[in-house]
Order: sequence, then C-alpha cells, then structure tokens
Amino acid sequence: METADPKNIADVEKAAPEAIEQLSQLFGSYKAEWLKEQLFDLFTEPQYFPELVTSRPCMLLGGRGTGKTTVLRSLSYEGQFALSKNRVSSIGESKFFGMYYRVNTNRVTAFRGPELEEEGWIRVFAHYVNLLFCDLILRFLQWYELHTDSRLAISDSAYRNITLSLDLPQVSNLRELADQLNASRFKFESYINNIADGNRPRLSMQGAPLDVLMESINALPEFRDRLFFFLLDEYENFEDYQQRVINTLVKHSSQLYSFKIGIKELGWRSRTTLNPNEQLISPADYVRINIPEKLEGEKFSTFALSVCNERMARLRVPSEETIRDVSTILPGLSEDREADILGIESIIRPIRDDLQAAIGTRANEISSLRLFLLASWAEKEAAPLTEVVEENFRDPIKWNMRYDNYKHALLFMIRKGKRGITKYYAGWNTFSQLAACNIRYLLELVDQSLLLHITTGNNLSQPVSVDIQTKAAQKIGEKNLSELQGLSVHGARLTKLLLGLGRIFGVMAANAVGHAPEVTQFHIKENGGNAEHVEKLLNAAVMHLALLRLVGTKPADEADTRECDYMIHPIFAPFFVFSYRKKRKMLISGSELLKLVEKPQETITEILAANNRAPDDPLPEQLTLFESYYGAYTGKTATD
Amino acid sequence: MELIRERPLLTDVYEQLMAFVPESSSAYVFGVSNEERSAHSEDWERQAINVKFVRVVDERESGIVVQAPLGETTVSLRSESQIRALLSGLNSNALYIDITGLAHHVWAPLLRVALMMALRTKVVYVEPGDYRFSRRPTEAEIFDLSERISGIAPIPGFFGLSDPEDDAICFVPLLGFEGPRLAYLLEYVQPPRAKIVPVVGVPGFRVEYPFYTYHGNQQPLRDTNAWKNIRFARANCPFSLFYLLQDISRDYPEHLIKIAPIGTKPHALGAVLYSLAGGRRVELVYDHPIRKADRTMGSARTLVYHVSFIPLTTAS
Repeated sequence: METADPKNIADVEKAAPEAIEQLSQLFGSYKAEWLKEQLFDLFTEPQYFPELVTSRPCMLLGGRGTGKTTVLRSLSYEGQFALSKNRVSSIGESKFFGMYYRVNTNRVTAFRGPELEEEGWIRVFAHYVNLLFCDLILRFLQWYELHTDSRLAISDSAYRNITLSLDLPQVSNLRELADQLNASRFKFESYINNIADGNRPRLSMQGAPLDVLMESINALPEFRDRLFFFLLDEYENFEDYQQRVINTLVKHSSQLYSFKIGIKELGWRSRTTLNPNEQLISPADYVRINIPEKLEGEKFSTFALSVCNERMARLRVPSEETIRDVSTILPGLSEDREADILGIESIIRPIRDDLQAAIGTRANEISSLRLFLLASWAEKEAAPLTEVVEENFRDPIKWNMRYDNYKHALLFMIRKGKRGITKYYAGWNTFSQLAACNIRYLLELVDQSLLLHITTGNNLSQPVSVDIQTKAAQKIGEKNLSELQGLSVHGARLTKLLLGLGRIFGVMAANAVGHAPEVTQFHIKENGGNAEHVEKLLNAAVMHLALLRLVGTKPADEADTRECDYMIHPIFAPFFVFSYRKKRKMLISGSELLKLVEKPQETITEILAANNRAPDDPLPEQLTLFESYYGAYTGKTATD
Repeated sequence: MELIRERPLLTDVYEQLMAFVPESSSAYVFGVSNEERSAHSEDWERQAINVKFVRVVDERESGIVVQAPLGETTVSLRSESQIRALLSGLNSNALYIDITGLAHHVWAPLLRVALMMALRTKVVYVEPGDYRFSRRPTEAEIFDLSERISGIAPIPGFFGLSDPEDDAICFVPLLGFEGPRLAYLLEYVQPPRAKIVPVVGVPGFRVEYPFYTYHGNQQPLRDTNAWKNIRFARANCPFSLFYLLQDISRDYPEHLIKIAPIGTKPHALGAVLYSLAGGRRVELVYDHPIRKADRTMGSARTLVYHVSFIPLTTAS
C-alpha cells in the first residue's frame, strides 16, 4: 500500500517540481478570480451557454464553484475579446457586449442604517446604481475607442440629456463625461459618509440616466442591432430592498439592455419589484438557469472531463507522457473488487469453514460479500447462520433483492473500526458524483490526486492508485469542511452542523445491516416552534454547500425549504465515511437540527438512538482531530 | 530608503499603568468594554487634574451615547457635524482618544474628525496581559464567527466609491490570531492571488504571538500562497505600520490598497491613519467582530501615540 502524506512539502519539491508546479497552475487555480487571463484560455463552454446570449434576462443559479463567475466573465467584453485571442476585428463582429460587476459587500452595506427609512434608502441606492452602471458603460465605451482606435460620435443632444438626468455640468465628450461622473461620485461618497447631516445631493430617477445613455449608444452605427448585458455576479450580497431595486430594472429592462445575474441557490431572497404586487416570474420575465440541474448526470461528467482534459493537454513536462483522457488515470473499483481489497476474505474464511462443516460444499456457491451479508443478518437477528443461509437458497428472489439493496452498504462495514481506509472513493465516475455538478470540487479532487500520486514517486503514465484517490478525496472533504468557517457569518454554525450530521451518517453507514441501507438524506419532520431559525440554518447550509437541497416532484416555491429533502454535500462523504449516493432518507426534527449545533454530543446520541444505533463506534482516523468535539466517543480508537 | 529621522515613532511608553497621567486642560474620550484592561481610565480620572473625561456608555451600529460634562448625548458616527460639535464642545488644549475599550467603528470616525479639526490629538492604548484563545481551534473549540462578527460593512466615515479594475487591487490583511476572519475577508474581497500582502505584528506583544498568528492563519495563507508575501511591523506601533503601508503602496503604484485591520488595535490605528493620509487610494475592509467576554487578561504597557502629524488628504 502506498503512503501518501501531503504535508511533507520537502518530498513534494523533490519529486517532480516541474510537473507539480504546472499541475498546481492548471488544476489548483480553480477559482475564477485566481486565474486572471488564464481564465479565458482555459474556458470550456458549458451546454447551457447559448441560453445566456439571447436578449432575455437570465438568472444563473448555482453554489460556490459551479462556474457562475467564469461564465459571466466570459460574457464580458474583455472576456469575449480574450476568447477571440485579442483579435481587434472580433470587436466589430461581436453580437453582444457584456459589462461585468461583482456586487461589493463593502459598498452595498453602506446603504442601510437608522438614518433613513427604507423608502429613503431605496432612492439613494437607486441613484448609486445609476452612477455605478453609467460608469460601467463609460468604461466600456472608452475601452472600445481605445481598442478599435476610433471615436464614437455621441451627439451633443445625447450628452445634454445624460448630464441633465444625472445633474452633471454640460460635457462634450466621453472623457469629460467620465470626469464629471467621477466628481459626482466624490460628492455622493461624502453624503453617504455623513448621511445623518442631511445635505442630500440631487438624486437621479431610478434607471433614467441608464436609459438615456443606452439610447444614445444604441443609436450609434457601431452598435446597431447589438445587445448590451449587465453581468451582475454575487447577487446574494445585495440587501433585500436592493434586490427589489434591481429586480425592478430587470422587469422593465427594454430592448436597450438586459441582465445576466449570477446568484447562489437561495440567495435570491426578494423576488418582487418595488411594487410589492409585482413578482419576477420565470419564464415570463427571465430565463432560469440552474447549473446543477442543467448539468445533471452524464452531462456534468462529460463537461468536467472536457475541462480537465483541456487543462491536462497544456501540461508541458518533458519526462511526462501526454494524458489525453484524465478519466483513464483515475480507475475505479467494482463492489466485489473493493470488498476484496478491504479484506473480505480474511473475515469470511472462518465463517465459510464453519458453514462448510454444517452444509457441505454448497457453502462455496455463495460469494464472499453475500456471505458477509448473510452472516451479518444472522448476527443482527440472533439467528443461526445455517438457517439464514438455507432461507437464502429457498427464496433466492427475496435474497437477491436484499443483496442488491445492501451490496454497496456492506462495503462500509467490512473494515469498520479499523485504522486506515475503511471505504474507497475512487474512479472518475465516483469523483463526478462526489463533486455533485461542482466543477471546482472536481478540479480539487483531480489536483489533489495527481499531486499525491507524483509526490509518492509515481509518474503520469501510471494510473493513480485507489488508495491515493481515496486519501485525496478525504483531504478535499477535510479542506472544504475547514473552509466552511470562513465562508459566511454563519460559518461556524455550519461547521458544527456538518460535524454533527457527518458523524451521524458515518455511524449509520457502518451499521447498516438490519436497518434501511444507505441512508444519506433527511427530511425535516417538524420545526418545533423554531421554524425561522431552522430555515435560516438550512438556507445558509445550502447556500454555502454544506448541504444539498433535493426538491421533490411537488410544485413548490423555489425558496420554500419545507417540502425539500436534504443531504450532506457528497464532497464530505469520504471524510466522514458514508455513501455519496442519493438513496434513502430519515426524519430529523427542526429542534434536533438546531441542537446539533448547540449541544452536539448529546444530540448525536439522541438521533442515533432514534435510529437504533449506538454512538460508540471508533472515529475514523481522519476524524480524530475532532476527538474532543465528539467528546464521549473518544474512549475507543480504531484498531489495526 | 527613507532616513530614520523621516520615520519617527511618536510614541510615549509607560511600563506602569499609573505612570501615565493625561495632561492638564485636556479632554479624554474613552469606553469601558468587558475587558479588564479597559477599566484603567477610571483610575486615571481620579488622579488627573482639570481633565474632561468623556465616557462612551453605549456603542451602536452607527451612533454612540456619551457621558460628557454637560450630560448624556447621542452622537451619530455618520455625521461630521455632530462629532465636530461634541469635540469642539470639550473646549480643551489636547484630545486623548483611548481606543483600548472602544470598537474600531467608534474610535475611527472620532479620530478622523479630530484630525480634520486639527486638534492636538493623542491616542492611548493599553496592551493586554495575555489573550484567552484556543491554540487549537479545530480540536478544542470551533471559532464561532456568528457570535463574533456582524459581517463586512464600511467603518462610518470611511466609505469610498473607488472601483478600479479587479487586477488593480492590493489586499493587505493585518493579521490577528483568527484564521477564519482572514478566510472570510478573502472570500468577499476576492483579491488577485499574487497581490495579497499580509502583515504580521513582529515583534509581538509577547515573543510567541507571531507564531500563533502564523498558526491561526495557516490555511488561508497556504491556499492563496500569500505566506510568500508576508511583511512585518511592530505589533504595538501604528507608525511602523503606517510606514510599511507607504512602502507597500509604493510597490503597487496605481493600485487601490484594501486594508483589513483584523489584527492588533495599534495596527488598526496605523491603517486608519494611513487611510486618512492616502485618500481614495486606500479602502478599509472590516468584518466588525462582536467581542467575546473576557477575551484578554490583565494589562501590560500603556502607549500614547502622537498622531496629529498625519497629513490629511483633501478627500478625507
């Protein structure tokens, strides 16, 4: 068995520095904001991309790491230019121009406080949005002039209308307009800093300067029949009333411009416009693009593979062979093969010997994993093994079905309580499922696997062992668990929730026989008078990918959390050791969920007891870091 | 290279708490938090002569309630005129702002207006004896952000609208012990990875503190490779930090310098002073922690910073 200690940096550097550095560049820079110009070099168009380039407003929904920023940036004029390899003629050929803006929390949170009523903040914020969007347009126009070496002939009357709508002095060219807009921002800044003093500057009407400016641009021959998009990223950072202000612009956006909005699931908290009776409705008002839904199943695997292969093709290390298909160096395991590697034979041998003595050679007709099920079943039912085996022969249909149901679940029990790997997570398909339509998670899994592979003395012409893949998957689960703390103001509560649920599902997976196998989901049975707190916790958990929300077939409001089932994001499955597959569910009350955060030790015990399990299994090796958190279970340690 | 005489550290250091006495005919603004070290002002009040002590008795999101000589007053921190009225009403020769027991969002706007009014201003800070914090947060105690931060929002008076291109940003987190706060800020600021310049307080209040800082922040530092860019400034010296920020700004010309003052209070003071001097090229990004009770123990040295020399930009 190979050893793989990712902490040993000296080994990493000695191993194959060139390959490691390049792999880290290609796969380790999985955040759009880290890639800079490489972002466009490595861009792979997702299948839903054509839906975004129409004139209709779009809401692009997906968790952190699903590729929203990459897609929005690729729609920007800078992105399109880079994708054309900086070909100047491409600017004239472009059918659309997108202006990217990431909602800046440090700006938008200034527009709240007791100094104004909400009505007042709406007016002030709407003016800020006018300044902001006009600035985005002016930046684009200046960029256009610079790159095409041309001068846009905006008419004097257009300049007059724009300056009137923003209460600016008269200007005669783009440069002057930009300067005046900047000066106006200075004044506005000072007003916001001293908002309790009053002295409010003249505020523009919501959207009015934008319409005037866009009208004059659309009239230019250079932009005839071109589309203009505002690409708003991280929409969830807006305050609720601010979302209503932008929703109003979206609802009433004309032929002049449109919006493409990136938002985390459940981050769209307010769906009305400033008119409380007016909702934004899909498909009438916007196209809803839910990335995980669009990439469900094989589509994600295919997309992810092309992203990885595209990156791998750029690896330039003389000593390394080119890998055309990343999936081929990440082999998986069948369940029977995995049972073998986990050591099923050494467990079954004495059982089979005893059985042979009792029923003769028929004992050899039963596969080892199936015999493991029969033996576990007999133990659970306190029945003689021979009786259970005879029933297996008598009623093969029933037992075949039972075996099918339990086969995967049995793998979690073979090395239960032992040191080292107790369940393998390997293979391209498994990695795709662990990532659950999240391209960042998939890149992390591939990156970590290849890194461990190389640092343990292997090269890229050899497949990555299942041991290394599993250790990489555990490491990525641990990494994302620790990152959860820093993702939001609820980060610590989410970490505690995940530690609690992860342990519960881990213990249940290791003790499956006699219970429903592969319980990986939960449903909230009642909120116990804490509906608001439960919903807040669940929403934050879904938004920051601690949990996945599984919307049932019933038609329900997207934001309605009551009718949903939940599961821990599969990326954490290797760390806590449970199944990543969407299978069966259990019920948890809202108050139990809250208590998991406040009183983890006693609540874990209660929930496990309600599911007929005891919390006394040793912690998996990788969880021993949290021994004191789990407290009561530290008496036992995993054995060799 | 700057000459040492051009970079003075205008600090009076008092080894004993009671060795410091505010000068006569001055005003002394202070607050008492739940930390032991912030309780000193009451002792000084007893031994000071002809000093107007102004106690901040309530700190709200954008306002304060002060117990001034003429009674209790509410002052909006988002009102230059109200802060001016408060300070000019004190009618004194010098102003002390004791930041030990005051939150950043309270002392920073007071200091800003005091400097704009050209008052002779000194900032007082008492070092803690020790911090109570978990050396191994993952094992012993998960850092509870929800109890400790309210989230990113501008410090009153320091809101800015400079929005350069994403690549023209240099992010300078002034590190404390709590890595999740750095991770949280990185998640929201999303600076270019190569332009993160963390600052560690060296020498620390205590010799071992820089090591705790590295340990506490190791994951975000490793993930972003920002550990390669770490710079150092004396933990209890706002001036050292101020000069370091000057150097960093020089290294990143034409960049917006986003400073996250999540480390020591003297570093936060240096950041605020630099923001007042640097104008629109500087932005403060802050997560507004809600302090846990008894986060520190005892008190060590008292430091008095002479901050009036700071040249304000017209934009402030």
